[in-house]
Amino acid sequence: MREETRREAVWQFLTYGFILLGAVTTLVPLYWIFVASTLKESEFLSSTDPRLIPGDSFLGNFGALRARENVQFVGHVGEMTQYVDLGPVYFAYDFWNLWNMGAIESSIFIAGVYTILSLLLCSMAGFAFAKYEFRFKQPIFYAILATLILPIQLLVIPLFLLVSQIGLTNSYWAIILPWLANPLGIFLMRQNMRSIPDALLESARMDGATEFQLYYKIALPTMKSSLAALSIILFLFQWNLFLFPLVILDQGKYTIPVAINQLVGAQRVYYDQIMVAATLSIIPIFILFLFLQKQFVSGILAGSVKE
Amino acid sequence: MSRITLDTVRKEFGSGGDKILAVEDVDLEIRDGEFLVLVGPSGCGKTTTLRCVAGLEDVTSGRITFGDRDVTGLRARERDVAMVFQNYALYPHMDVRRNLGFGLKLSTKLPAAEIDQQVEDVAEMLGIEELLGQKPKELSGGQQQRVALGRAIIRDPEAFLMDEPLSNLDAKLRSQMRTELQTLQHELDVTTVYVTHDQTEAMAMGDRIAVMNGGTLQQVGTAEEVYRDPVNEFVADFIGSPSINVFDATVDGARLDGPGEFSYHLSETDPVEGLRTVRVGIRPEDIQLVDNGIKLGVNVLEPMGNENFLYATLGEQEVTARIDPTNRPHPGESVSFAFDEAALYLFDPETGASLKTKRDGEVPTTPDSIPNREGVESTTGTGPDTGSNDDRMEETVE
Repeated sequence: MREETRREAVWQFLTYGFILLGAVTTLVPLYWIFVASTLKESEFLSSTDPRLIPGDSFLGNFGALRARENVQFVGHVGEMTQYVDLGPVYFAYDFWNLWNMGAIESSIFIAGVYTILSLLLCSMAGFAFAKYEFRFKQPIFYAILATLILPIQLLVIPLFLLVSQIGLTNSYWAIILPWLANPLGIFLMRQNMRSIPDALLESARMDGATEFQLYYKIALPTMKSSLAALSIILFLFQWNLFLFPLVILDQGKYTIPVAINQLVGAQRVYYDQIMVAATLSIIPIFILFLFLQKQFVSGILAGSVKE
Repeated sequence: MSRITLDTVRKEFGSGGDKILAVEDVDLEIRDGEFLVLVGPSGCGKTTTLRCVAGLEDVTSGRITFGDRDVTGLRARERDVAMVFQNYALYPHMDVRRNLGFGLKLSTKLPAAEIDQQVEDVAEMLGIEELLGQKPKELSGGQQQRVALGRAIIRDPEAFLMDEPLSNLDAKLRSQMRTELQTLQHELDVTTVYVTHDQTEAMAMGDRIAVMNGGTLQQVGTAEEVYRDPVNEFVADFIGSPSINVFDATVDGARLDGPGEFSYHLSETDPVEGLRTVRVGIRPEDIQLVDNGIKLGVNVLEPMGNENFLYATLGEQEVTARIDPTNRPHPGESVSFAFDEAALYLFDPETGASLKTKRDGEVPTTPDSIPNREGVESTTGTGPDTGSNDDRMEETVE
């Protein structure tokens, strides 16, 4: 008995040790980026005096980043006092027009709109694949899954031709629309929607629900945690897109990854500014995860256990 | 409230070579306000039939009418019927109040206050007022069952369709809900089609019982009719617990020779006229232990308190008997039995059709293990014979 308890304790120690090791390896680089953003470049690049304590140069580095001409990282709103009298609608309209979006706002806008629209599309497709019978259902589903193996690099040229033909180049929609039907999202939603009992939908049908009401009154609300998990996945996917926005967008509309890339100059790399930009780019994701983490975890586990 | 008529309803699944015939040309009329139980073994097509009535499955051919209204081509939500599912199918994200009101909200234009009032009324009727704010997962099985019922009742539909609604409850709650359901159905007087695989439930609850097997309707009748006067061996075997004992016997004039020592002289030979063999059926309760009769080898005795189940062998044949609780033969012992010819069932060995049933014998009936309920249209008595001791013939052994 005592032997068993001891063995269990050793196992527990090893397990937690392993988890701790994993956590440290993941977190240390993030922490270092944060520390570096608060130090002068010479301080954090010093090979003789490595620093792990935050300094006080964050605002200085941030100021240098804002002062750059080739990249606008954080946006600003133009002079608009003369419009204030025209009422809230005009105000909003002018605010939108005068708002010179920086990379952070662009990224948030693109990833946010993308996430909402893609959630809608993926959940509808997943619902159809999970709960309806139609001709060629399996082949279509596998064809969608097969597109998962196509690398973005391969898709960039045809997609560029496509969006330029419909006149969308240098527009945010050009970044949003081509990726809306996300195969991973469709797959996830389909798997999770399969766990909705048929009787639940039939019961709603008997209660007088239309097929669309089944989707948005029954399926969507029961899939809350899966939707939360998927929204993080979709948001991150769009947040991290690099090559496609680089090809499609002009300088003034750059997203964060593309903007950061501009900090790598021909003569020198602005590490201090890169660190500030990287730190800032983590914040929206951090907030998103903070809000959705409970649902995220249960969503990832959803459908894994048959009830 | 209306009469439901199924006119040669047929349902096939799949297409081409993989066609599965689930329901084969079922003709059935469910009377206005009647409680009809569809019963049969799993896969017999009872649930499919119910789903066709509900509009959840299209029929392959045939017609379904509610009153004079042909609903064959209508969708579920256009038929004005309510269904209670086996797993209740409560909406997990809605509290009880919204679960109950959901159907009214979607299918009527009633103002919210009116819907709310009806929700409260139904909740009161079912005794679940204090649960209105709770989510389904916080409720016990019995409470969930009540909410599912309430969701059906509140819509005041033309018919209730119930698909094994009690099978997820424990035995005690099940019998309690059984009574409640019957009372409720009588009060509301709504035509009800109830599907179950449990023949006891079917007999206890149904005004009439429709027995299905292999996609076809075998027999429709009151509990007493299907029990005493089954149309074939399947119905005789399916209805009644423990099951009827059935075995082969050879026919020699009026004499039947069966397994072991079984030999019996029929006083009436019409049923077996022209047959070489026949299937003989005796209900367990019609087996009477006597001092001098057909020998049985005792295997197991199951004391039930009010009666004993005796499992024995007649030659190679397993035989079950319901005997008096004071009678306790030991395993390995040999006992003798006799039975009443009126209680004997005879079936055609090829078609399974009944040649002789209990009804033919006109045995006086005693209401015993199968309760009689109001509204049962009985023609010969108040309940099936479950152990009448009158007119037993004891000198039947040759």
